[in-house]
Amino acid sequence: MKDFKFSNVEREMEVYGYDAVVRSHCRMCHGGCGVYVYVKDGKVAKIQGDPDCPINHGTLCSKGLASAQLAYHPDRLTYPVKRIGPKKSGQWKRISWDEALDTIAERILAYKEKFGPESIVFGYGTGRENEAVIYRIANLLGSPNVLTAGHFCYGPRICTSIITCGTNPIIDYENAPQCIIMWGNNVTISNPDCYKGEPFSVALDRGAKLIVVDPRLTRPAARADIWLQLRPGTDAALALGMLNVIVNEGLYDKEFVENYTYGWEQFVKRVDEYPLDRVEEITWVPKEKIRAAARLFATTKPAAIQWGVAIEQQINCADNDRLLMFLMGLTGNIDRRGGQVLYRTPPIVNVGQFGAHAMLPREQAAKRLGGTMFRLGSRFAIINPKCVWDAILEEKPYPVKMLFFISSNPVITRDNAREVYRALEKVEFMAVADFFITPTAELADIVLPAATWLEMDYIGDFWKRHGYILPRRKVIQVGECRSDHEMLNDLAHRIGQGEFWWKNFEGGLDFILEPMGIRWKDFKEMTWIRGEVSYEKYKQLGFSTPTKKFELWSTTLEKMGYDPLPQHREVPESPVSAPELYKKYPYILITGARQPGFFHTENRQIPWLRSLHRDPIVEIHPDTAAKEGIREGDWVIIESLRGKVRQRAKLTLGLDPRVVSAQHGWWFPEKKDPGHGWDESNINILTDNAYEGCDPAVGATNVRTLLCKIYPETRSGGAS
Amino acid sequence: MKKYALVIKEDACWGCKTCEVACKQEQNTPGGISYISVSEDGPRMVDGKLDFTYRVTVCKHCENPPCRDVCPVDAIIQRDDGIVILQSDKCTGCEACIEACPYHAISFDPEQKVARKCNLCYFRIDHGLYPACADNVCPAHCIYFGDATTIDTMIEKKEWLTYRIEGKLGSWVVHIDD
Repeated sequence: MKDFKFSNVEREMEVYGYDAVVRSHCRMCHGGCGVYVYVKDGKVAKIQGDPDCPINHGTLCSKGLASAQLAYHPDRLTYPVKRIGPKKSGQWKRISWDEALDTIAERILAYKEKFGPESIVFGYGTGRENEAVIYRIANLLGSPNVLTAGHFCYGPRICTSIITCGTNPIIDYENAPQCIIMWGNNVTISNPDCYKGEPFSVALDRGAKLIVVDPRLTRPAARADIWLQLRPGTDAALALGMLNVIVNEGLYDKEFVENYTYGWEQFVKRVDEYPLDRVEEITWVPKEKIRAAARLFATTKPAAIQWGVAIEQQINCADNDRLLMFLMGLTGNIDRRGGQVLYRTPPIVNVGQFGAHAMLPREQAAKRLGGTMFRLGSRFAIINPKCVWDAILEEKPYPVKMLFFISSNPVITRDNAREVYRALEKVEFMAVADFFITPTAELADIVLPAATWLEMDYIGDFWKRHGYILPRRKVIQVGECRSDHEMLNDLAHRIGQGEFWWKNFEGGLDFILEPMGIRWKDFKEMTWIRGEVSYEKYKQLGFSTPTKKFELWSTTLEKMGYDPLPQHREVPESPVSAPELYKKYPYILITGARQPGFFHTENRQIPWLRSLHRDPIVEIHPDTAAKEGIREGDWVIIESLRGKVRQRAKLTLGLDPRVVSAQHGWWFPEKKDPGHGWDESNINILTDNAYEGCDPAVGATNVRTLLCKIYPETRSGGAS
Repeated sequence: MKKYALVIKEDACWGCKTCEVACKQEQNTPGGISYISVSEDGPRMVDGKLDFTYRVTVCKHCENPPCRDVCPVDAIIQRDDGIVILQSDKCTGCEACIEACPYHAISFDPEQKVARKCNLCYFRIDHGLYPACADNVCPAHCIYFGDATTIDTMIEKKEWLTYRIEGKLGSWVVHIDD
């Protein structure tokens, strides 16, 4: 007889003769999953899930399992380099860490002296658990400008949840929600932010009903009880329609509304502006389906909304987030067991405190780029990327002279990529920290070799709102690579911030843990720590908002001069808002549907992961393809007012014939010239970043919905 | 002797391809080859509703494996425990097995010019370890390994779910008679 056990560590060790095993915490995305890392001859030999980790329960994703191929990739940058030829020459010279950091420090101090600290912009892409350390160095320097993905990813959920109900409500999957709306999200593929696909999947195994809102037929949409295939960019109208049903049919939690909400009467008036006939016309979703979804969600308890970034990369970003929170709140699911909980993190120095936002002088905060335009975002230290490009290219409102990007590849990920490229070509000095010399790094002056998660000690999930922290333990050292935290800690000393930093970053970890009376050396021996869990805290404490209520009418937005109630706005390029343009560009282009092996621009050089997705793919309905003379697998040109790129056609019935769906994040590391094919299939060549198209409160750029034409590559021009 | 089986509940599969990479990590499969692969089926219209599922292609370790029967050099063997093993070092690359497999579960390695397929991680099984793809990697928990006679009950009863809800999947032990 044999006994089989998941992740049988003892037996793995014995059978394969590994030298060691380290329990750690993966960060191939934002972080999250508990893992065992097996080591043989000083190298990572195998990665396996930790079945007792409360985040992933032992399951992993393709990216996590391929981590060693990233760590040991032959193209990986393993020492600092400086550029010795012109930008894009690909001529690099190895330098020491001292030379690299001294050069960066000299530039920072010189620009600070001559143009003010605001002329130095730090940046990261989507947060890689380096957010707090980057904000810390910028705030202590006096620069209010940290350019992140926060204007259109997760940041808006933080700002809008804080002003609505105090913190980001996270689904209590552990206590089995009975109905889930998956809204513009596919957690089974993307595992975003505070969520992993596994708990969602288990919730369905435990019998939850499923409603999916998505213009694409994903597998969850196919499995759903109700699939609402909306016109891209009309999420706010759909949510208002559902709220209209919930309000007018009396399906809301009356006790909650009466005692814990602010602005109910005005809110009801706003909702009445969205009767289902109107909503059907805006969204293309039949009103019977909207009604059925609203009833199912409102009458099944507990219920939750699995939300994500798609609703944020739109002109309606902040209102979309708020409306989804209203759906959670008015159905009585906020801070309820099995619903959507306002979790407490353990008592640590949190991301905001560590980020030293309070140390940024007021007069410097007032200089935040775009601060008077995108006032809610700015309040939360978020800036819109075009503001930075304009400050470089036009020197307005003041010149930006230096960029320091850490784990960011903006020439691929930011909207209107050609403008981004021009700005990066022009900026006087740029430092980049990354795993590889990416198309962005090719424009840098100095590139620093960043450590992967296998090469660092850290407090994993420290920034998240699900209430857990987990130790990430260093397993290996690769070349001279250093974690983002270590390199910034070192740099901080060189620019006169020494008193606020530590001898090495273990001191920073101790600082974070200090309120719990433990140090890193203690935490590193633990499995995880969870904040205290309790429900319906608002009944005693109220919500952490200006009115202590769940704010339907936002007093914060009102003060800032915005509409305090949410509304539907048309995206700038749609058949409704731009009928003339629609004649020339006759399809709605949606972008950014996730691929399992990739994390935005990452992993296209990892053999196991690239083998899952060889080429960039654009999905088209077969009728549309027939009309445009496109066959399955053809390379096609997708073109907007801004430019054109090529991707390969995949025909699918899972889209409306009026909609095409292109992938994001593509460049080609296998192309060894310094461009690495950055503009061949990069969908952000097509997207727009004009201020008028951005969310007025947080400055989110509208990268998800625009107008395009599409035609076979072999034919010139296009059908229009 | 109990026969081993790998059963994948495709209706639960989300298409995340984790199993593919778990397999690559264990087997270090040559570039371009997957012993287990996930592909899309549909979307197609079924009774007025769009249907869309994932299919997982992997050797089914057939009771009467046609691949074994056609192999001219006996490179494919079936063990008493049901595992069908393609010994690539004995393969001459004639591709007869590839033609014969009704499940398209055998690949041709163009570099080594041999056929390759899932051998159910028999080395791991022999040492009491789950096959790599079945070692709780799947976020949908849709890959089941066990002996063929009880695996249906495992699926039916969702035994793993009890441990999962308790947060103790690491303690779930499945006994299988040799």
